Amino acid sequence: MTLPILPTTVVGSYSMPGWLERLKTEYLGRRISRQDLDEIHDTAVKAAIKDEEVAGLDIVTDGELRRDNMIDYFVERLPGVQVDRASKKFYYDFYDSEVIGKLPSGPLGLTEDFKFLQANTTRETKVCITGPHSLSKRIRNKHYPTEAEFAADLARVLNAELKELVKAGARWFQVDEPYLSGFPEDLGWEVAALNVLTEGVNAKIAVHLCYGNRYGKPSWEGSYRYLFPGILEAKVHQLTLEFARRGGEDLDLFREFKTPFEVGVGVIDVKTQAVETAEMVAERIRKALEVLPKERLIILPDCGCFHLPRNVAFAKLCAMVEGTKIVRKELGH
Amino acid sequence: MILQINHLQKNPAAEAARDLIETVFTLVQEGHLEPSQLPSLRIHLDWIQYRQNFREAVMAIRAEELHGKSAPFLDLHVNTRDMTPEALRAGLLRTLARDAHVAEKPEDCLALEEFCSFRSSIAWQFNQLYWQRLPDWEKATGRSYEQALPGGKSDANHAAAVMDGVADFWTLLKDLEKHNRLPAEIFVLEIGVGMGTRCGLWLDRFQALDQERGTNYYPRLKFLLGDYALATLERSRPAVQKHMDLCSFIVLDALNPIRSLSFLRHKILHIHLTNVYDNLPDEQLARRDGRLYQVQVRAYLPMEDAARIGQAFGLGVTELKGMIARLLSLGPDCLSDRERGVALWQEVWKALRLEERLVCVEDLPSFSLPEGMDRSRFEEILREAPADLRVHLSTGAIESLRNTLPLLHPRGYLQVQDIFVTDLNDYRMGFYGPGKLDGSIVNWVNGVFLREVAERAGYDLHFAPFRYRPGSKTSVLYTTQRE
Repeated sequence: MTLPILPTTVVGSYSMPGWLERLKTEYLGRRISRQDLDEIHDTAVKAAIKDEEVAGLDIVTDGELRRDNMIDYFVERLPGVQVDRASKKFYYDFYDSEVIGKLPSGPLGLTEDFKFLQANTTRETKVCITGPHSLSKRIRNKHYPTEAEFAADLARVLNAELKELVKAGARWFQVDEPYLSGFPEDLGWEVAALNVLTEGVNAKIAVHLCYGNRYGKPSWEGSYRYLFPGILEAKVHQLTLEFARRGGEDLDLFREFKTPFEVGVGVIDVKTQAVETAEMVAERIRKALEVLPKERLIILPDCGCFHLPRNVAFAKLCAMVEGTKIVRKELGH
Repeated sequence: MILQINHLQKNPAAEAARDLIETVFTLVQEGHLEPSQLPSLRIHLDWIQYRQNFREAVMAIRAEELHGKSAPFLDLHVNTRDMTPEALRAGLLRTLARDAHVAEKPEDCLALEEFCSFRSSIAWQFNQLYWQRLPDWEKATGRSYEQALPGGKSDANHAAAVMDGVADFWTLLKDLEKHNRLPAEIFVLEIGVGMGTRCGLWLDRFQALDQERGTNYYPRLKFLLGDYALATLERSRPAVQKHMDLCSFIVLDALNPIRSLSFLRHKILHIHLTNVYDNLPDEQLARRDGRLYQVQVRAYLPMEDAARIGQAFGLGVTELKGMIARLLSLGPDCLSDRERGVALWQEVWKALRLEERLVCVEDLPSFSLPEGMDRSRFEEILREAPADLRVHLSTGAIESLRNTLPLLHPRGYLQVQDIFVTDLNDYRMGFYGPGKLDGSIVNWVNGVFLREVAERAGYDLHFAPFRYRPGSKTSVLYTTQRE
């Protein structure tokens, strides 16, 4: 599938409807069945895909609407992780979980999600997974001597899952690592874990690094300077970074450091409901083009649209696509 | 008949119960009450914390069915604090007579509005007027509003509390610096500044601590003083005179601080409020026999007060009603002599009462929970609460909280010093407002609902008793990041 210059996509999640939140919590309280919830998820995912298509995105996701949050969806599936299912009352809360022995290998079942996505769109697709660093920060480690070793073993299990997804036809992945900005001192072992994760995976792989979006607010503040030069050792193709809310100052890092990466430029602030204009988006892209060649830019929001109301999320994506079209035209495409 | 004692005052409860039973049975013997009425009668004995309040000694609260069905019950509320045996008899008779004419407006009252949610009542217009024209009020009473507080001063200005607060904040800054994350500009916001005393104390202490420890944070400080009234901000200036270069004075609505400060979204490291939430528009809900009711109010003046005030100001009763509307619109300048205008205002406020009725929320299509309060969680909280209950919804406080949290830096925290109910069971053991505090309204805040709304916004709320003044009823709400 040929993509246009400055391809547009989402970071992963789409707006989580209030009614779906309530139904997920109902399921948690055992007031609706798993079968009902699965049907509800299928319907919601189809609607999210449709919205992404209508907004005009080049690469779509399933909106991550099946997930309670970015951690629990994996925690529940990772073989060997013990989950206390009584530990949360609201679907969005985190489960208490721990690992007490070496993680066995085993499928996480993401292939089914991917096949559903693929069957419901003709666009290019992307599968997002939570990375080993973020998972290691939420799962209590009672087995591995160090966090680094735990993360590396998580990466081993996730690597097998990515390979299964490739076999099923997946060609784009995004590894979400929002916790890294809160623990910049972990960069060394995180890069090592990323390299275990991507080893032998024949697909385009992006790493998403932001300052957190839990509850629609940042978890940390700072500069992406901490990524350099360590991140240059990561065997990934793309970094997707947050620039809309924080401003484009850190783009200068790409002037300072020669990087091999494509860059997913966040041009939509997902922490405010104010909808950007297309011109505002275009200006943000132009700023990135001062530093990076057009062939290495991907256009997306700062982070997932999970916390935005559906009408706002949709309007923001439309503005993003329109703004991108303005710049494409200026570039002669 | 059910006699329900809603407080923990032993002697007044015992005396009131004895007097009440004797009076009720006398009224039955005299034919004022039918024996058949007794089984459906529920009488509440309340202890009203605020001596100045909106209640008469006896008040009837009827549950209204808006669609023509008969009223399911009538509750009588007796203020045991203000009650004497004579007043009880007169109050019961008056209340029963009023109830018999419930369809018409009772003749012994001058109603100032139609029934509405407390949040929409003109009582809040009086409250607003008080803050807007505070200097006029204070001039007339000869004392500042802080002197009018219980104890004569505000807990906000307790030097030891401020000192500890500054030390905690300094520790946060030090930790941020250690991790190379200290912002270039350190924003602090105080909402509701009063005379600026707390701000002055805080800044003095912060400067001293910073110098003592050689950290050089003080020059990076941006201290924002926010208040609803420009006049209040002006009055706070002298208290922070020494720190003027760091201070900004911003008119803002405590219900929506981010509207004025959106440019500081996710940037403020510390936000503090004292006794603001207890003065924000509120409404109440009651659950009775498994159904949920909105408490609606109608502001009125007892007719004898209306006649007395009217006579003192040369107005007929009907003219008085028009003059009150003019007062709420123009302030004390509603009369050509401002001092007389203030005198009128004070008299009306003193006499102002709130009649109440309960309307089933199922009959109110426009009723909605405050934004941020999830309906299913709300129902779950009520399921776990005592069966018959009356609670503050704390709409204004919830609105304020939701519109303040987005200003916080990821490591920032909010502190609110106020009067909170943190367990719904407590609502069965006391009356938590509204009351009158000088010319303003005071109302406890439902911390349970606040906690729920904060969780959905990504914060855990904690309530710590204010330990610096023995006997203080205030607590300190503080936030921590929710994972």
